[in-house]
Parts: sequence; structure tokens; C-alpha cells
Amino acid sequence: MKKFLNSLVLLLAGWKAAAISRFPRPDFESGYQYPEYTYAVPNEMLWDIIDVAMLLILMGIVTWALYKKRTRGPILWSSVVSVAYFGFFRGGCVCSVGSIQNVALAFVDNSYSLPLAVFLFFMIPILGAFLFGRVFCSGVCPLGALQDLVNVKNYRINKAVAGALSVIPWIYLAFALLYALTRTRFIICQFDPFIGIFRLGGDIGMIAFGVILLVMSVFTGRPFCRFLCPYGALLSIFSSVSVFKIGITPKPCINCELCHNSCPVDAIEAPYGNKVNESNRTGVKRLLAYMLIIPVLMAAGGLLMRQAAPQLARANREVRLYSQVMYFEDHPDGEMIPEVEAFYSQGRTLEDLISSYEEVHKDFRLYGTLAGMLIGLVIGVKLVRLSLKRGRKQYEIAHSRCVACGKCFSYCPQNRVKAKVN
Amino acid sequence: MKKDKEQIDNSPMPRREFFRKISKAIAGAGVLALGGAAATKVKGNKSASLYWQIDPEKCTQCGRCETSCVMPVSAVRCIHANKVCGYCDLCGGYYRTNAKELNTAAENMICPTGAIQRKFVEDPYFEYTIDEDLCNGCGKCVKGCSSFGNGSLFLQIRQDLCLNCNECSIANVCASGAITRVPYETAYKMKDQA
Ligand code: SF4
Ligand code: SF4
Ligand code: SF4
Ligand code: SF4
Repeated sequence: MKKFLNSLVLLLAGWKAAAISRFPRPDFESGYQYPEYTYAVPNEMLWDIIDVAMLLILMGIVTWALYKKRTRGPILWSSVVSVAYFGFFRGGCVCSVGSIQNVALAFVDNSYSLPLAVFLFFMIPILGAFLFGRVFCSGVCPLGALQDLVNVKNYRINKAVAGALSVIPWIYLAFALLYALTRTRFIICQFDPFIGIFRLGGDIGMIAFGVILLVMSVFTGRPFCRFLCPYGALLSIFSSVSVFKIGITPKPCINCELCHNSCPVDAIEAPYGNKVNESNRTGVKRLLAYMLIIPVLMAAGGLLMRQAAPQLARANREVRLYSQVMYFEDHPDGEMIPEVEAFYSQGRTLEDLISSYEEVHKDFRLYGTLAGMLIGLVIGVKLVRLSLKRGRKQYEIAHSRCVACGKCFSYCPQNRVKAKVN
Repeated sequence: MKKDKEQIDNSPMPRREFFRKISKAIAGAGVLALGGAAATKVKGNKSASLYWQIDPEKCTQCGRCETSCVMPVSAVRCIHANKVCGYCDLCGGYYRTNAKELNTAAENMICPTGAIQRKFVEDPYFEYTIDEDLCNGCGKCVKGCSSFGNGSLFLQIRQDLCLNCNECSIANVCASGAITRVPYETAYKMKDQA
């Protein structure tokens, strides 16, 4: 669908003579002319420009709505446009969430050269999160926007459960990086629950999963964003320290609690009084003690993943091929599966396969260890933050979780007063 | 002045402010480092890996192209490189190997969808054309042609049909690892076009 407009036509003339020529090229006497075929190559450049422009425009609209207008209206429209354009029209590829893997792959695979548009799709939302918070998630990401558009109720999930589940995006991120860095596959793309809905077709299992997630998002906001999305995890680091921060109201909070239930992702935190009054010194000591568990967890995670590396490596083509070929070498009378057939017909040697098998295993050990350490680090930091309770006098937004949807604005009576005065 | 100093000593606020500034600076540096490092890997649109293509020399016609594409009808189609074709009467890509009679009855055809059209050119040559609306990329004719003929039929991902998935789902299951990302220049990998 996306390609019916601007197509550059690549003219393909002049095939060279056949490499395998069982039959000679005929000498036609009747003046027969070879048919000329042309194959259209879509003008990817043009679409890239439109995509990036759309990304910037929508992010601009969202930022303007959040910071200048302080209303949700334009964000809602931006969501509709995003779902329609990035989702249904462009078929969901390439999205920022998946671009993590392209960037990772570009670092390890010299044969892969990163397209500029993919780079921009990766960087612009991160830059946006660093400046203004997760304005990309707000109404630009088609995955988030789709969930947002069906959201009706905000049943709050138990804090402990939500806290535990919020580690999943990081684990997902670690695995996505691992599989991209080992040139195995793009698991974020493979397990994208919404792409099948956008394309109205594809893997049935994933479509079913997407529908389940959408049904869930009717009752609690954005389950995918909160408990799965690896890009959201990445953005949350930057949004939690962003230069400008979204506030529920520019006026002082009167602690009316009206906004508390308006947040679809449970990012508004209630006032909290720190009962135990610790002296500074013991507080610092306690913090240092907690900090010590982080390296321990990192080491444990790294070791665990290193142990699991051979199992994880089985997802890799070359590793699978190795075991398939080995099995065939041991059972030469058995049936030849297509992979093994291809291996022999391509004239690859066993030495070649073994060396690439070992190469992949080495990669899996290295990147697996790093991925494990990342998971350990995240779990450690989450645990430490659980025990660091800072007092709050007002309702506040937890900026790492806030998806900048702007839903809380209209609930705050302080904002209404202003609206009436104007 | 004195009051200010007192406040610094007693209140954790300035320290918190300091940490906030530090973390902002770290995050800013992170954005710059990440962006800078990734930017070195960016290639211009001419050589960037934009499209998916089958390497016809590697493909072994495992049949997964027909079934594994995310599209209801695969974006892979058979392409006929006429200039490689022998224009044979007894076409290995047209007739089944066990065809009883060499006529154009459906049970003698390799192609399950009847997508291959045969036209008499001159004695003894026949021209074969693929009807791309019927072809589903099963590769049966390609297999026949490369086993018994010149290998002029081959499978290729049609750019006008392909959705350009970030990762081609056929590439994941391709038995011969034949599907890779290619730049604009080779947006179509053709047979014997070195
Ligand atoms: S958290 Fe949600 S909105 Fe943000 S990038 Fe992920 S899927 Fe998109
Ligand atoms: S999946 Fe690979 S080997 Fe099988 S038909 Fe397609 S390109 Fe050829
Ligand atoms: S045999 Fe298969 S690949 Fe060949 S033309 Fe028919 S449908 Fe297409
Ligand atoms: S990239 Fe997607 S649409 Fe294109 S051939 Fe592969 S699976 Fe089919």
C-alpha cells in the first residue's frame, strides 16, 4: 500500500550469460526480441523524509500541548494520526522500539549500514525524553497511542506486582540487545503484538496476544508500555532527569487527590511522610550497604547468563545449522532436511561451519554476560530505590513512569480555575 | 547570609539539587555519546541497508517463501531471466518430471497455480512468462528449472509488494540463509547479474 505512489523504476537490462548453461542460448531467426521487464523500486528516500517529518511534527504538537496549552486535546488527535499513519498506513515498520536492534546490529555487523531514518527514529525520541519527558510515548508512538485510544478505566495494579513487572522491559531490552548483537534475530520485531493488528494479518499467536493486551488496556492503561516495552525502559532513564518536567498543575497542589486516579499508568504518587527520622550519617551508611548488593547482583546476573549462553545461542542460525549438520553426519541414512541440503549444495565446509559456530558461541558468552550484568544492575537499582523513601508533601508525577498523556491536567481543580478566568 | 548558610547545613535540598544537576549532566552526556557513536554507523541512503532480497545463487527453494511472509500472499514472486533461458520445449520448470504426456493439461504442470504461460516462438523454441498475479512464490518451477534447465527462473522479493519489515520473517526461517538486507543499488538481485 505504501508503495503505490512514488516509485522509482529501476531498469534492468543486460543479463550476463548464464553460469550454468545446460542449453545454449537460442539463435532466433524470426527476429524474436527478448522481453524487457522493469521492476519498481519504491522511493524509500521520500518516505523516510515524510516519516521523520511526521515524527518531528507530532512530537512538536505533543510538546506544545503539554507545556504551552496544558490540554490533552491535541495529544488525542496526535494519537489518532499516529495510529493511522505510522500504524495502519506505514505498516508499523520501522518503529523506534525496534530501532534499538538496528542500532545494536550496526555496531557489530559491518555489512549492515544503518539507514539515516532509522538512526533518527532511534535518537529523536531519546533526545525528546531528555528535554521534555516521554513526549514520544504520549501520542507519537503508534503502539502506545493504540493502547491509549482504547483505554477507558484505570484500575490500579497492586504496587508490589507492578514493581516486579516493571523489571520485565529491562530484561526484554537485555535480551533484544543480546540477540541483535549476536546477529541472531530481532526479537522485538518478532514478538511485536500490535504489528499484526496494524497490518491486518500475520502471526496468529501474536495477533491474539495483541488483542489480549488491548482488552487489558481498556481497564488499565498501556500494559505493553509499562510491562514490556524495552524502548520505554530506555526512555524512562532520560525522562526521569529531563531538563523540563511536566507538572500536573503550574499552581500549588492543594492535595485534593482528584488527579490520583486519572493517571493511566499509575505515575502519580501520593504525599508521603517519612516517619522514621534517621540522622544523616546512618542514612548514608544504609545507602552504602544497599549499594553493595548491586555489584553482587550484577555478578550473579552475568554469571547466570554466561552459564546459559550455549542454550541461548541455539536461537542462532549457524548454531542450529551446526547441530543439524552434525546430526545428519551421524545419521547419513536419515532424511535430509532443507537446511542440511542447502548447506551441502552451497559447498560450505565443515571447518567453516565449526568456526562460525564457535564465533557465535564466543559472542553469546560475551554479550550474554553483559546482558546478565545489565539485568542484575536494574534489579539492584530497583531494590535500592524501594528502600529509599523520600518524603513528599504533594501529589507528584514519577517522571520515569509518566507517559506524558496529559490526562491528569483536566482533573486538577487548580487548572480549572485558570480555565474559567481566561 | 547567615540564614542561607544555616539552611545549607540543615536542609538536604541543595544536596538533592546537586545530585539532580549531576544526573542531568550524565544523562545529557549519555545522549550525546549514544547519538555520536550511532551516528558514525549511519550510511547515506544509497548504501544503507534498506531492502530485503533473496540471493538467487544461494536459494534452494525450500518452499518457505510461500508460507512465511507476513503478507497473505507472499511478496516473493518468481522472476524469469529470459536471457538465460534456453527456450526449451521440454521445460523443467514447466512440466512435472513425471508428466505422462507433454500437453498443457493442468496435471502435467509444475506450477500449482498455473502461473506459467507458454508461447510458441519458432521451432523449437518456446517462451515462458510468469503471470505475477497468480504466482505465490512457492518455488516449485524454480527447483525444476535449476535442476533440469538453465536456472533462468528464480525467486525474488518484489519491492512493490514487500512491506519492508524491519526483520523479514522469511529471512528468519530461510533454509539456506539466502535473504539479506541490501542497499538501493542492488534493490533487485538478479540472476547472473554480477
Ligand atoms: S513505552 Fe509505549 S509509547 Fe513508549 S515507546 Fe514503548 S510502546 Fe511506545
Ligand atoms: S526461504 Fe530461502 S531457500 Fe527457501 S525458497 Fe525462500 S529464499 Fe529460497
Ligand atoms: S511454480 Fe510456484 S514459484 Fe513458480 S510460477 Fe508457479 S507459483 Fe510461482
Ligand atoms: S520483508 Fe516482510 S513483506 Fe517483505 S518478503 Fe519479508 S516477510 Fe514478506
